[in-house]
Amino acid sequence: MPANFRDILPLLVRHGVRFIVVGGGAAIVHGSASLTYDVDIVYARDKENIRNLAAALQSYQPYLRGAPAGLPFRWDEQTIQAGLNFTLTTTLGDLDVLGEVAGGGTYERLLPFVQEIEAFGVRCYFVTLEKLIQLKRAAGRPKDLAVLAELQALLEERRKLESSRDPQDSGNESPG
Amino acid sequence: MVDLAPPDYCDPVIEVFKKDVDRTLLRENLKLSPEERLRKFESFAEYARELREAGQRARAAGKGHAG
Repeated sequence: MPANFRDILPLLVRHGVRFIVVGGGAAIVHGSASLTYDVDIVYARDKENIRNLAAALQSYQPYLRGAPAGLPFRWDEQTIQAGLNFTLTTTLGDLDVLGEVAGGGTYERLLPFVQEIEAFGVRCYFVTLEKLIQLKRAAGRPKDLAVLAELQALLEERRKLESSRDPQDSGNESPG
Repeated sequence: MVDLAPPDYCDPVIEVFKKDVDRTLLRENLKLSPEERLRKFESFAEYARELREAGQRARAAGKGHAG
């Protein structure tokens, strides 16, 4: 099932979860033509946020993606506190819940590199295209080479577009 | 925090992959707002799902005929 942004993003916002969308979702909002199968978020690790994150997904049967069925996995504050990054299946679709990402660190470290974007009736943070490129490169996975090429091409196209529109203001992203 | 190369760093390996990027798709997407891009993804994902299900139905029907 492709990534379900329509249900997952409003759910997290409604529960007061502080998060930043990274990965394929961020690539799409910046203009990528790639398909993605999961929603990737970096979440803040403070107690209140962990409590909200646990509550938000509780009703959607979160389970470890790819793990054998029947494990005594419980999605609660204790599990989140004891772990860091979780790749989950839920009844809403696949969701990667990350406490930290290679090259980007924690939620707080990524905060200076986000754009607030309205989508599906809520406003949420998405990592900037520039930072996303750096994160993909830092991850160093061979499967990301084609993605990285597309993101860099996107950055080039965006810069061309901006310089053709307004040579005085080439640092801001097109609102669309 | 680790020191990362700038986003427009020119990596010869990435340059090879860049030749295969369809920039016409990117230019079309850049004409849309971020939310419109997400909605376009959703429409495409729905279309892909319908195609996959149609393929599954066709394979199931084919098996039925063979048996």
